[in-house]
Amino acid sequence: MEPIIQVKDLAVNFKAFAGTVQAVRGVSFDLFKGETLAIVGESGSGKSVTIKTLLGILPKNGHIASGEILYNGNDLTKYSEKDFYAIRGKKISLVFQDPLSALNPIMKIGKQITEALILSKSVDKAHAKDRAIELMTQVGIPQPEIRYDEYPFQFSGGMRQRIVIAIALASNPEILICDEPTTALDVTIQAKILELIKDLKKKDDLSIIFITHDMGVVANMADRICVMYAGRIVEYGTAEEIFYEPAHPYTWALLSAMPDLDTEDELFAIPGAPPNMLQPPKGDAFAARNKFALEIDYEEEPPYFKISDTHYAATWLLHPDAPHVEMPESLAHRIAKMRKRNGI
Amino acid sequence: MKQYILQRLLAMVITLFIILTLGFLMIRMMPGSIFDDYQDLPADMEAVLNAKYNFDKPVIVQYFIYLKNILLHWDWGISLKMYPNKSVWSVVRGKIPVTLYVNIFSLLISLPLGMLAGISAAIKKNGSVDYLVSFLVVIFISVPSFVFATCLQYFIAYKAGLFPIIYDANAVGAAKFHSLVLPILALAFSPIARVARYLRAELAENINSEFMLLARTKGLTYTQATLRHGIRNSLVPLANIIIPMFTTIMGGSLVVENIFAIPGMGGLMIQSINTSDHQVTLATLMFYSLISVLTILIVDLSYGIIDPRIRIGGQQKV
Amino acid sequence: MKIYNKEEYAGIDTSKLRLIQMDESLHDQKFETKPIGFFKDAMLRFKKNKASVVAFVMICIIAFFAIFGPMMNDYGFNDQDLNRINMPPKIPAIAKFNIGIFDGGRVLANRRVVNLSDTSQYPEGCILAVENRHFVNNIEMCDVTVDYYRYSGISDEDCFWFGTDYLGRDLWTRLWRGARVSLLIALVSVTVNVVIGVTYGSVAGYYGGRLDLIMMRITEIINAFPNIVVMTIFILIFGTGIFSIILALVVRDWIGTARLIRGQFYRFKNDEYVLAAKTLGVPDRTLIFRHILPNSIGPIITRTALAVPAAIFSESFLAYIGLGLKPPEPSIGILLSDGQKVLLYFPTQVLFPAILISVLCISFNMFGNGLRDAFDPTQRGV
Repeated sequence: MEPIIQVKDLAVNFKAFAGTVQAVRGVSFDLFKGETLAIVGESGSGKSVTIKTLLGILPKNGHIASGEILYNGNDLTKYSEKDFYAIRGKKISLVFQDPLSALNPIMKIGKQITEALILSKSVDKAHAKDRAIELMTQVGIPQPEIRYDEYPFQFSGGMRQRIVIAIALASNPEILICDEPTTALDVTIQAKILELIKDLKKKDDLSIIFITHDMGVVANMADRICVMYAGRIVEYGTAEEIFYEPAHPYTWALLSAMPDLDTEDELFAIPGAPPNMLQPPKGDAFAARNKFALEIDYEEEPPYFKISDTHYAATWLLHPDAPHVEMPESLAHRIAKMRKRNGI
Repeated sequence: MKQYILQRLLAMVITLFIILTLGFLMIRMMPGSIFDDYQDLPADMEAVLNAKYNFDKPVIVQYFIYLKNILLHWDWGISLKMYPNKSVWSVVRGKIPVTLYVNIFSLLISLPLGMLAGISAAIKKNGSVDYLVSFLVVIFISVPSFVFATCLQYFIAYKAGLFPIIYDANAVGAAKFHSLVLPILALAFSPIARVARYLRAELAENINSEFMLLARTKGLTYTQATLRHGIRNSLVPLANIIIPMFTTIMGGSLVVENIFAIPGMGGLMIQSINTSDHQVTLATLMFYSLISVLTILIVDLSYGIIDPRIRIGGQQKV
Repeated sequence: MKIYNKEEYAGIDTSKLRLIQMDESLHDQKFETKPIGFFKDAMLRFKKNKASVVAFVMICIIAFFAIFGPMMNDYGFNDQDLNRINMPPKIPAIAKFNIGIFDGGRVLANRRVVNLSDTSQYPEGCILAVENRHFVNNIEMCDVTVDYYRYSGISDEDCFWFGTDYLGRDLWTRLWRGARVSLLIALVSVTVNVVIGVTYGSVAGYYGGRLDLIMMRITEIINAFPNIVVMTIFILIFGTGIFSIILALVVRDWIGTARLIRGQFYRFKNDEYVLAAKTLGVPDRTLIFRHILPNSIGPIITRTALAVPAAIFSESFLAYIGLGLKPPEPSIGILLSDGQKVLLYFPTQVLFPAILISVLCISFNMFGNGLRDAFDPTQRGV
C-alpha cells in the first residue's frame, strides 16, 4: 500500500535568543490511508513542531533545515504560504489541544464553523448554516439550532472540543491531525472525545495523525505508533508490537510510567529532564537518563535496528554484539497481565 | 440589564449632586467677600447688595435657595464680576459649543490615526515602522498638550502661515474648522499615542494567540485572519480606553483654549477664578463634572454591551 | 533514516558495547548558572535598554543643573532690571563660533542702510547680518541682525545666557530655579501619593472583606470627581503656594497606587509562605510590610517614576490657569505661561522652558518604561 504522506529525514531549527534550537533532527515516517498513526513523546520532544511543519504554520523564527514531506506527489517543504491555502482545512485539518484558547472568544461559534465551510468552498453561503448545524449534530452537540448563536464561553470544555473537531471536519479533509486533543479535558470527557474521533474516522474514511504524551490514550486509538525523543523517532511499530514487545529503553520507561491501579510496585518516574536542544548531546540523546546506556551511546548515534518488517528501534542494545538486556521486571509483569486481559 | 443602567444613572446623579454641594460650600466658606475689591463701598450699600444676593443669610439657606433655583428654574445665578447682571446660564451657553467642537473633533480624529499607527506597528512587529511608532508614542504621551499647542502656533501658524494664529470668533463652516485645526491637533497628539500604544500591544498579543492559529489552519490567509480575528478582538476593549481619554482632552483644552484665544469654557473658568466670580466658576466646574461623569457612565454601559462575555455571561455552561 | 546493516557498521568498536550506568542513581542535571539577586537581575536588564539609560542620564543632568544652575551666574531669580527687558540669549563661548544661536542676535526690521555705518546707532561690532535689501521711496532699507548686547552697550561679561523676561530677570537662573521648584513639588507629591496609596492598598488588600469593600467605595467616589475640578476647588480654598499645590496633586493620585497594591495583595496573600508565617505567629503588620509588600517593589518603583511627569504636567497646568505659585517664585509652568504671552516676538522665552519640560517628561517616561521592562519583562509593550 502506498503511503499518502511520506516524511523523509525532516530537520527543523528555531532561531532563539541564545542560539539555534534543533527541535526536529531527522524524522522519517509514513502515514497510510485509513490508519491512525500515533506520535508519542514528552513535552519538548518535537512532536508539535513536526506537524506544524506539515501545515506550514511554523512560527516566524522556525525554518526547515533539511528533509522532504511528500504528499500527493508534492514536496510540502518547498511550498509557499500561498500553496498551503489549498491544503489547510481542505486536505489536512488540525484539532488543537486547548479548545478554550483555540476558539475566538467573541465570535459566535456558528460563524466560526461557517467561516471554515465557506472558505473550503464545500458549500455556498446560503446552505452554510444548514451544513454547520449538520456538523454540530455529527459531533454530538445537542440542540444545535439554538447553540449555533452562542459564544464559546457558554460551552463546557468537552463541547468546545467537539466544536473544534467540527471546524476541522468542515471541509471533508483527507487527513486529520490531532494535537493532544484530550490533554486539556477531564478524564471522563476524554473517553467520549476519543470515541467521537474513532466514529468520525470510520464514517468519513479519515487518516489520522494523533499526537499525545499519554500512552493510555494511544492504546485506545492507534494502529501504528512512533515514539519520539529529543527531536528523533526512537522506535516505531504497530500498536501491538510497541505495547507487547517494546525494544527501546525509552519506550520501556514510558510504558512503566503509566499509572496502574492493580500494581503494588513503586510508581516509576523517568529521572532527569530532556536535554537542551541548543546543543544536542553527542550520540544517543537519551543516554544520560538511561539505566541501560552503553558506552557507545555517548559517542555515536544508534541506527534503526530491524525487529520485524513493521517494527524498528534505534538503540545499540539491538546490536548483535551488545549485552543481552531484559526489560524491567515490573514492566514484564504488566505486559503479561495485559496479554491475559486481552486474550493474546 | 435594565437594572444595571438604572443603578449607574442613579450613581451619576448622586455624584453630581455631591460635587455641586461640595463646590458650593467650599466657595462660600472662602474668606473674604466678593465686595472686597470695591474699597470705597459705603456700608449701607454693601448691606443692600448683600441682601439682594442673599449673602447675609446662613450658608445652608443660601445653599437651598441655590439648589431650588437650579432645579426649578434652571437659574444658575448671575455673573457679578465678568458680565455684570447677565445670567450665568446665558454666559455659559454661548461658550459650550466651541469647547465641545474642539474636544469632540480631537477625539474623533485621534481614533482613526491612532488605530492606523497601532495596527501597522503590531503587524510588522519589531520592524522599522514599529520602532518609529513606539518612539513617537513616547514623545506624544510625555510632552504636555500645551507645549504642542505653542509649537504648532509658532512654527505652523506664525512662521509658515498655514493656519491662523488665533481663533477667529466670527468664522463659520469650513473657515471655522480651518481656524480650529491647530488646537484640535494639539489636543489629539496624546490620544493618538495612547490609542496606538494600546492597539499595538493588544493586536501583537492576539496575533500570537491560538485562535489566530486556528483561523490560519482553517485556511484563512494571514491577512484575512488578522483582519477578521485579530483586529476585531483588539477593538472590543478599545471603548474602555477611548472614552476616559475624553476627560483628559477636556482638561488639556483648558490651556489650549487660552493659547489660541478661543472663547470657550476653559477661558471662562480661568477668568472666573481670577476675578472671583464664583457663580460662574461653579457653573463651569459643574459642566466639567457632568462631562466626566457622563463618560464614566458611557464606559460602564459600553463595556456591558460590547463584550459578550459580560453581556450574556454567568449563565450555566452546558 | 539510517537502518542498520552489518557491512556499514562493521567498523565500530564493539568493546564499547557495554553497560556503564546500571547501578548508578541517575539524577537531574545540576544547574550551571548561579542565581543572582532580584535587584541585580533587574539592573542588568535595565542596563541593556539603552534608551532608558540615556533617559536616566538626562534626568541626572537636569537634576544637577536644577541644584547648581542658579548659582552659576551672579543674577538672582528676582533681580529686575527694567533697562534690560526681553534680552535675547547669549553665551559668549558659543557666540564666538558664529553659528547663529546664543549670539544675542535680534532682527531689527526696516532699517535704513545709510545708518548702518553710524557707530552711534550701531556700536562697533554689533552688526551680525544684513538681509532683505530693498527700496522704499528711493531709500535703501534692509533687515539687520544685531548682537543686541553690543547694540545696547552691554559688555560680554554681563550677558544673560538664556536672555531675560519682561521684567529684566535672568532666565537662566529662573529656569533652573523653576526646575528645582517643579521637581520638588513633583517628587514630594509623588512620594506622598505612594506612601498613602501603598498603606491604603495594603490594608484594603490584606484584610479584605467588608473593610475592603468600604475602602474601595470611598476611592470610587473620590475618583468620580474630575481631576481639574478637584484641583481647582482645593486651590481656591487653600490658596496658592507650594503646600496647597502639593495637596491638590495628592488628593486623587494615590488612588491608582492603592488599587495596584490591593490587586497585588490579592495575588500574593494566599501564597503558602504567608500562611506559614502566619502559623508561626508573625503579626499582621510585619506580614504586610516585610513579607507580602516586597513582591510589589517593582511595580511600585515603576509607578513612582511614571507618576513624576504627570505631577509636573499638573503643576504646569495649574500655573497656566493662574492657580500656580505666587509670583515672583518661578516654576516651569509659570515660565511657560509668561513666555506664551510674548511668543510671537520673543520665542526663546517659551523655547527653553518648553524644551526642559519636554525632556523631563520624556526622560521620566522612558526611565519608567525601562524600569517596568527590567522588573517585569512579561509586561512588555503596554
